Amino acid sequence: MVAVAQHPNIELVTYAEVVKVSGYIGNFNVTVKQKAKYVDWDLCTGCGTCWEKCPSKKIKDEFELGMGLRTSIHKVFPQAVPGKPIIEAETCTKLTKGKCGICEKVCPTNAIRYDDKEQLMDVEVGAIVMATGYDLFHWEETYGEYGYGKYPDVITSLHFERLVSSGGPTGGQIRRPSDGKVPDSVAFIKCVGSRDDTKGKSYCSRACCMYTAKHAYQVKDKLPDSESYVFYMDVRTAGKNYEEFYQRSLDAGAKYIRGRVSKIYPRGDKLVLKTEDTLMGMPLEVEVDMVVLATAMVPSEGAQELAKIIGFSTDKDGFFQEAHPKLQPVETFTAGVYVAGTCQGPKDIPDTVAQASAAAVKVCGLFSKERMATEPMITEVDISKCSGCGLCVPICPYHALSLVEIKERGHQGPFTRQVVEVNGSLCQGCGACLPACRTVALNLKGFTNEQLVAEVDALCL
Amino acid sequence: MKKRVGVFVCDCGTNIASVVDTEKVAEYARQLPGVVYSTTYKYMCSDPGQELVRNAIQEQGLEQVVIASCSPRMHEKTFRKAVEAGGINPYMFEMVNIREQDSWVHPDRGEATDKAMDLVRMGVSKVLKNVPLQVSTIPITKKAMVIGGGIAGMQAALDIAEAGHKVILVEREASIGGKMTQLDKTFPTMDCAA
Repeated sequence: MVAVAQHPNIELVTYAEVVKVSGYIGNFNVTVKQKAKYVDWDLCTGCGTCWEKCPSKKIKDEFELGMGLRTSIHKVFPQAVPGKPIIEAETCTKLTKGKCGICEKVCPTNAIRYDDKEQLMDVEVGAIVMATGYDLFHWEETYGEYGYGKYPDVITSLHFERLVSSGGPTGGQIRRPSDGKVPDSVAFIKCVGSRDDTKGKSYCSRACCMYTAKHAYQVKDKLPDSESYVFYMDVRTAGKNYEEFYQRSLDAGAKYIRGRVSKIYPRGDKLVLKTEDTLMGMPLEVEVDMVVLATAMVPSEGAQELAKIIGFSTDKDGFFQEAHPKLQPVETFTAGVYVAGTCQGPKDIPDTVAQASAAAVKVCGLFSKERMATEPMITEVDISKCSGCGLCVPICPYHALSLVEIKERGHQGPFTRQVVEVNGSLCQGCGACLPACRTVALNLKGFTNEQLVAEVDALCL
Repeated sequence: MKKRVGVFVCDCGTNIASVVDTEKVAEYARQLPGVVYSTTYKYMCSDPGQELVRNAIQEQGLEQVVIASCSPRMHEKTFRKAVEAGGINPYMFEMVNIREQDSWVHPDRGEATDKAMDLVRMGVSKVLKNVPLQVSTIPITKKAMVIGGGIAGMQAALDIAEAGHKVILVEREASIGGKMTQLDKTFPTMDCAA
């Protein structure tokens, strides 16, 4: 992270979103919205006086997934890069009620800006790498048998990561959220939302088998006297040193039970899991202190909209569609736009890093040339036939068509009229405009009406 | 433009030839108007296959080329280059898909072969109407944008930056790092995530 911030060739724009993209490979025009931070980061030193003094202290910390508290003016987490705070407008009493103003008073560099507004900036770039990541499947909405999220000790694997992290809300001690008790037994349930056509997603989320093996191991490592159960459909460990890692977890004493958990319900301060052991062929009831769900990876919120803004396609699950699963795994159907990481599909860290480097190489390959060749199979206009009706203009998904005025000579002298013009760099040759043309003034080079009719004639005559 | 079409029918190993009688298709193609040469080969995309195309263009004086093989998504670019290397404009070429749209989806050999002949006839009719097209070039802005500052975004940004190009990294949250920053140790090495 720090390497990114320190690199002289990288300009970091955080707390910002892409709102508009126009142009084409080698020549994109991107509009970025910088959200209001209410802190001048050029002046801020990140000293921390502001968030220490902020009186709005009881806000659920998203970074800790609600298991910790933060202030209104805050850094996302202590090691944030850049290490500067923002004010969350909705929870700041100065911004909502006009009262307080403590952070402004205590800031030694006068960096607080209550009148900060969001700003738009335009950037010209030659290539775009999509790396928007993933979110976790909202299991609470569909998995009624696991309590719809109403049992505090049924948590996700990401919650568990925070519980075992030394920087987390418990300082790295595994304690269950409801009463802070160190659990005597923890159950892990895999494929919650993954490989579940009826309630979740049809795909395998790929990383869960391994991180659950890690979690089961961490329970045995940190709490040697506790039980660590893993309920699974299959164990998929296809990766270098992965199977060995899973064995290590088994050797440490993790108990793997093959079966889907059909119900979780409370009994006293414990949770009861109703399941079966399909290898033994018998029903099973297990009592534990805490349940951890390995939930599916789904596309990051807003990814679909972003794909629309930039103009490339997504797959049936909303992940970004690669141009070819084997031969063009980091390209999209839009030239100059590449994909890296979980925005393209679920994957683990080693695969993510490899794909990101692959995308980077594609960008560098593009940048190794001064100019690039364009595909000549694009739309052309016969202006003698074009009536200038403009029906084709809004149809073009690449904004390649526009109406222009041309001067012509007639019997009554010179006059001007409208005709459509094609931007040869923007046109991708998709042909969507052709059916809209009533006067057959548009033709797709390489797929002209004459050529297509010749094909039809060859088949039918 | 003289009408001198060459038709090349690919076996694709057994992908096409196990269902489509490629010899029969090539023989049929030879009788089509404008066609002066046709042949089959096991793998038209391979080096010897492309050489076959190049040599035929020169030896037979071909002006148009039709290759009946897989989807254009797969090898259109490959064959355009081969045609160009043979000495004619790369757009005086048509690709006919007798794999994805024929041999892979039809079980009956007779019907699949008939369809392949229809498709080849269409391709030949079209290529006779082709005109040479010229590629133009556009400049490239050598600056990249990476959207998302998690593991993938940071890695891509660093690699591009290391190669000497400017990168602008846009992140939705106030800090980069993404989900990674919330993780404890990571498999299989159990080192820290940050």
